[in-house]
Amino acid sequence: MSEPLLRAEGLTRHFSVGKLLSRQRLHAVDDVNFEIGRGEIVALVGESGSGKSTVARLLARVYKPTAGEITFEGRPVSTLRTRRQRLAYSSDVVMVFQDPYSSLNPAYRVTHPIERGLVLHRREVARRTRRAEVENSLGSVGLVPTGQVAAKFPHELSGGQRQRVGFAAALAAKPKLIVADEPVSMLDVSIRIGILNLMSELREREGVSFLYITHDVAGARYIADRVLVMYAGHLVEEGPTEDVIERPKHPYTQLLLSAVPDPRAPLGVSDAADVGEPPKVIDPKEGCRFRARCPLAIDRCETETPRLRPVGRGRLAACHVAEAD
Amino acid sequence: MRFVLRRLGFFVVTLWAAVTLNFLIPRLMPGNAAIAMMARYKGHVNPQALHAIQIAFGVNNHQSLVSAYFAYLGNIARGHFGISLTFFPDTVAHQVLQALPWTLALVGVTTVMAFVLGTLIGLVSGWRRGSVVDGALPPLFVITSAFPYFWLALLSIWLFSIKLGWFPESGGYEVTTTVGWNWTFITDAVNHSILPALTIIVTAIGGWILTMRNNMITVLTEDYVRMARAKGLKPWRIMWTYAGRNAILPNLVGFAMSLGFVVGGAILVEFVFNYPGVGWMFLQSVENQDYALMQALFLMITVTVLLAILAADVATAILDPRTRERG
Amino acid sequence: MSLPSVADSVEPVGATVGSGPPEEATKRSAGADLWRAIARNRKALVGLCILLFFVVLAAIPGQIAPDDPRAKIYPRGLGPSVHHLFGTTAYGEDVFSQLVYGTRQSILIAFAVGGLATLIAVLVGVSAGYLGGTTDGVLSLITDVILVIPIFPLIIVIAAYERNAGFLTLVVVLGVLGWSYGARQLRSQTLSLRRRDFLEAARVRGERRSYVIVREILPTMTSLILASFLGAALYAVLFAAGLQFIGLGNPNSQSWGTMLYWAENNEALGAGMPYWAIMPGVCVALLGAAFALLNYAFDEISSPALRLRKLENTGVDTEREAKAAVPARPPDPKNILEVRNLSVAYASEHGPVVAVDDVSFDLGRSEFLGVVGESACGKSTLVYAVARLLGAPLAGEITRGQVLFKGRDMVTLADRELRHIRWRDYSVVMQSAMNALNPVLTVAAQMRDACEAHSTMTRREIEARSKEVLRLVSIDPVHLYSYPHQLSGGMRQRAMIAMALLFTPELIIMDEPTSALDVVGQRSLMVQIKELQERLGFAVIFVTHDMSLVSHFSDRLLVMYAAQVAELGRTRQLFDRPLHPYTQGLLEAFPSIHGAKERLLGIPGSPPDLLHPPSGCRFAPRCPHVMDRCRAEPQRLLEVDGELVRCLLHEQAAASVPAKEGVA
Repeated sequence: MSEPLLRAEGLTRHFSVGKLLSRQRLHAVDDVNFEIGRGEIVALVGESGSGKSTVARLLARVYKPTAGEITFEGRPVSTLRTRRQRLAYSSDVVMVFQDPYSSLNPAYRVTHPIERGLVLHRREVARRTRRAEVENSLGSVGLVPTGQVAAKFPHELSGGQRQRVGFAAALAAKPKLIVADEPVSMLDVSIRIGILNLMSELREREGVSFLYITHDVAGARYIADRVLVMYAGHLVEEGPTEDVIERPKHPYTQLLLSAVPDPRAPLGVSDAADVGEPPKVIDPKEGCRFRARCPLAIDRCETETPRLRPVGRGRLAACHVAEAD
Repeated sequence: MRFVLRRLGFFVVTLWAAVTLNFLIPRLMPGNAAIAMMARYKGHVNPQALHAIQIAFGVNNHQSLVSAYFAYLGNIARGHFGISLTFFPDTVAHQVLQALPWTLALVGVTTVMAFVLGTLIGLVSGWRRGSVVDGALPPLFVITSAFPYFWLALLSIWLFSIKLGWFPESGGYEVTTTVGWNWTFITDAVNHSILPALTIIVTAIGGWILTMRNNMITVLTEDYVRMARAKGLKPWRIMWTYAGRNAILPNLVGFAMSLGFVVGGAILVEFVFNYPGVGWMFLQSVENQDYALMQALFLMITVTVLLAILAADVATAILDPRTRERG
Repeated sequence: MSLPSVADSVEPVGATVGSGPPEEATKRSAGADLWRAIARNRKALVGLCILLFFVVLAAIPGQIAPDDPRAKIYPRGLGPSVHHLFGTTAYGEDVFSQLVYGTRQSILIAFAVGGLATLIAVLVGVSAGYLGGTTDGVLSLITDVILVIPIFPLIIVIAAYERNAGFLTLVVVLGVLGWSYGARQLRSQTLSLRRRDFLEAARVRGERRSYVIVREILPTMTSLILASFLGAALYAVLFAAGLQFIGLGNPNSQSWGTMLYWAENNEALGAGMPYWAIMPGVCVALLGAAFALLNYAFDEISSPALRLRKLENTGVDTEREAKAAVPARPPDPKNILEVRNLSVAYASEHGPVVAVDDVSFDLGRSEFLGVVGESACGKSTLVYAVARLLGAPLAGEITRGQVLFKGRDMVTLADRELRHIRWRDYSVVMQSAMNALNPVLTVAAQMRDACEAHSTMTRREIEARSKEVLRLVSIDPVHLYSYPHQLSGGMRQRAMIAMALLFTPELIIMDEPTSALDVVGQRSLMVQIKELQERLGFAVIFVTHDMSLVSHFSDRLLVMYAAQVAELGRTRQLFDRPLHPYTQGLLEAFPSIHGAKERLLGIPGSPPDLLHPPSGCRFAPRCPHVMDRCRAEPQRLLEVDGELVRCLLHEQAAASVPAKEGVA
């Protein structure tokens, strides 16, 4: 059992919200544990407000954890002090963003973030060769002819092309882990597959791991080895992708899977009775956060917060009533 | 309610800043303004008033800066602003209160008129985007909003008083009329205020027309306006309740911010017309180096501006339910 | 599962969505765009000319003025004449020369104060906006206090203690007090920029904060910084002149304000020297106007909504005769809506764009039609055209075709007649409830005004009906008197649907009403809509980009590509046997959670630029089955098996449809 590339333990992040006289704590992420191995694609699935984007930002060190620890290649991230250490981490763990229309600075040509990546993280590349290196990375994400693309401004490219630039910029540092925060949600359907294929191919070719954050379960199934399911700040289920999708253990995962529209599937419409929404987790009490919408809730769910426990081989679920294999 | 309280708190801070500035500036400036003034007072003033002035201007500093400051604050709070040199031996406070009604009548009324008219014209102009009227108005008002107030005042005097003789040239009223609530006086006062009022309105209105117009145009692209059209509401109602009510909100904010500018211009207008208001008195005090009066008037002007802004904020809170919650 | 190769995921950039052919595009930068925008704006040009004029005067006064401005050699108090364009002063100086020499001070003050104030505004505003927290709190408080304290009186107070304020004092005082408005603007712009991902991307890659502020934020705010500079310059010119006019400046300096001071002191107006008093003011006003015009022009340039573009000027035919030329085949009574040869165009920055090209379809009385397509295919424009709701920001005009709703052509209906049938006979549900609901009115008020516009219901009846429709969409009627921002996202969306049902219309047009919701919410909303439709019997046109979602609920599907109908047919048939290669590609671009895992391809490339649409098939560059004929010939709609498809592949099987299309 080799050392995982990244491990998150008890990862927690709270925000202070509210006005001066009535401060409250928003529990965006609570006690999340997971691992990412080398060359592995892990999908983090959840809806808006589930905390998945916050997890991404915790990994990318945009936020500091309120509690818990991230360990990268055996080294706790909180011990990174000097600028050099932090820069080294930024070159190993990079991020790709959701909105292709705001992830590139409109004042510069599209080569700008790639060049900056080289300047910051690959000093050994001399200025003369930088240009060639930039064009190489454009080519490696399929943006051709590279000379033409390099001269363009963001508004001259389509959404899909801009996302590819985002990947090229991420790759400039030769990272070990790419945190992709919903990279295809804002793209046209016909373009999404191309980006997903690109991610898969980068994993094969460069050996880079991915944490693929999404609300699209089908997309997660398409490229991910393992899937993590989040709800209201908690990690509720974990396991190999095929397994989780075929035999979901947690009631929320079951609800999520039943709601995914699939044109090839028969028109089996389940109950539309669920008009609930994920709760805003502000100063929560003990107990399962899904209990209000759960058809299987029992008394224990009201008083005791379920923890992730094994429910099969490589399978974890945070539910009192989930049945083990 | 919380919103209003927060704004009040802000105003208290601002007022404090203005008072402190009044205290600090003469001490920071080179020159012996204070000494010169003291020399002019000596022998004419009762010891108590003299002492107040000493505190205000830091002459004969027996006290430390800090204790002088608190004494000064105490005097202000009790309304002891000192004795006016210009209107000796009258107190500053009394003089200020004499001038205040004139300014409120002229500047207050015209500013409100300019804002209301400007907003209405901007509303209609933005609504009728692309019409002939809308094409000509904005550039015109951009230019008028750049006119110096005092120059327009001079121009209007030259044109309407000297050349055409329609209106009196200066003053708040004819020297021969008796002051008081009688008909002759009132008509005379109004007659004297028409030119200054027009000057202020013509210059101030441009900015508000333009901002309101731009706000309208932006608001008209919003989905909820399209929704109102989809519901088949009458254009009148869409213009007022949907577009107008939303477009005016940033204009109220802009009112607060441009008020200082308008007040500055109004001071100059009073000066040019010799109109006996706060602004004219303010400039007189500067010319006569009557610093006690000057400081008090500065505070008065600041307070008036703050009150007007508070009114605009309350209006915003009434019109926009979101501010009430932001608090 | 075999791996996708690089070839599969290549993104050829030739067919890019952009403006203009690639070679031109390389030269375009943000700066060049700005210059071009300025050149096209009349106000900016006028302002710039005036400014240039004064700058020249300030630079070389000696060449232009006939005399030394201080030379008191002429007779005093002369009126205008050939020798003295504006007469002489009470001291015998030539007014015109004084004006020319006075320019320098005003220009210098304008630029110096403008620069100083803008510098401080940038430092304060951007730092406050970016750094946030207590820094922001403190800086904002200082900014607001200075903003609110009346500046002119304060400056007078300062100048009063420092008599004869020289040029330097003026610049410093004005500069140090005049930055607050600009700082406020810059701060709010910075705050909204903070949500832009490229700033976060810069931080994540390890850039220093100072770098981010200077090299990432500032370059995107150039027009705001310029506008701030212009505003400060304007304020400087006016205030400096005012100060000098009341005698607080140096009375011996050469400036317009001092001229006015002396003119006033000598009662120039009444004493026959009016130009001495008026002309300096004209100069101040002109220079001020130049700055104001430029400032206003920048406002327009930076917010596209303010630029008006008229379609008539672009050569697109918008005459009503053309619309009526479509032959009148009587509508089929089975259909509640018949759209015939509808075309919509709008004026873009670079020329006219046809956003909807010759679209026709019918809609049965209780039919659920899904309109699917990707970005810029024209689906939203199409349905808003049908609903007669074009206009800002879509800014399109119907250039051709008919929309027969219940037998009447909506395109030729006047506004007043349209208003009668709006909401009663057909209603609209928009994409974002947060934007579509008026934020300053309660839900009840917004339902009420729809009711009042079309019926004579009493207040009580309106309230009852409002509560009823809320219950229809499973919203507790207690929320009736809430404001939109007090409701959750899902509730807002359902409230919009409730509002659309107020008069139980016969047709509801929905523009992506579920895209703001999560997967579970989408599903339950769709089910609810379908239920209501079956119960109340209205027809639905449902626009979405999510084909798999709508497929469970629609009777027929209309697939749009690049402003045209690509395919139109019964949902099940379309899914089981898609005819158009685009539809095929689209269906294969959805990974599934059921069935075997297989490699998918998607559709590489992008839709064509509608500014210069190709004459042949618009899908040709991306089509795996493309033939030479596809690129050469314009494509017609063909009818195959009760379906319509625009593709040559089905020529043999088809009977083409000229009769239905009318003037094709």
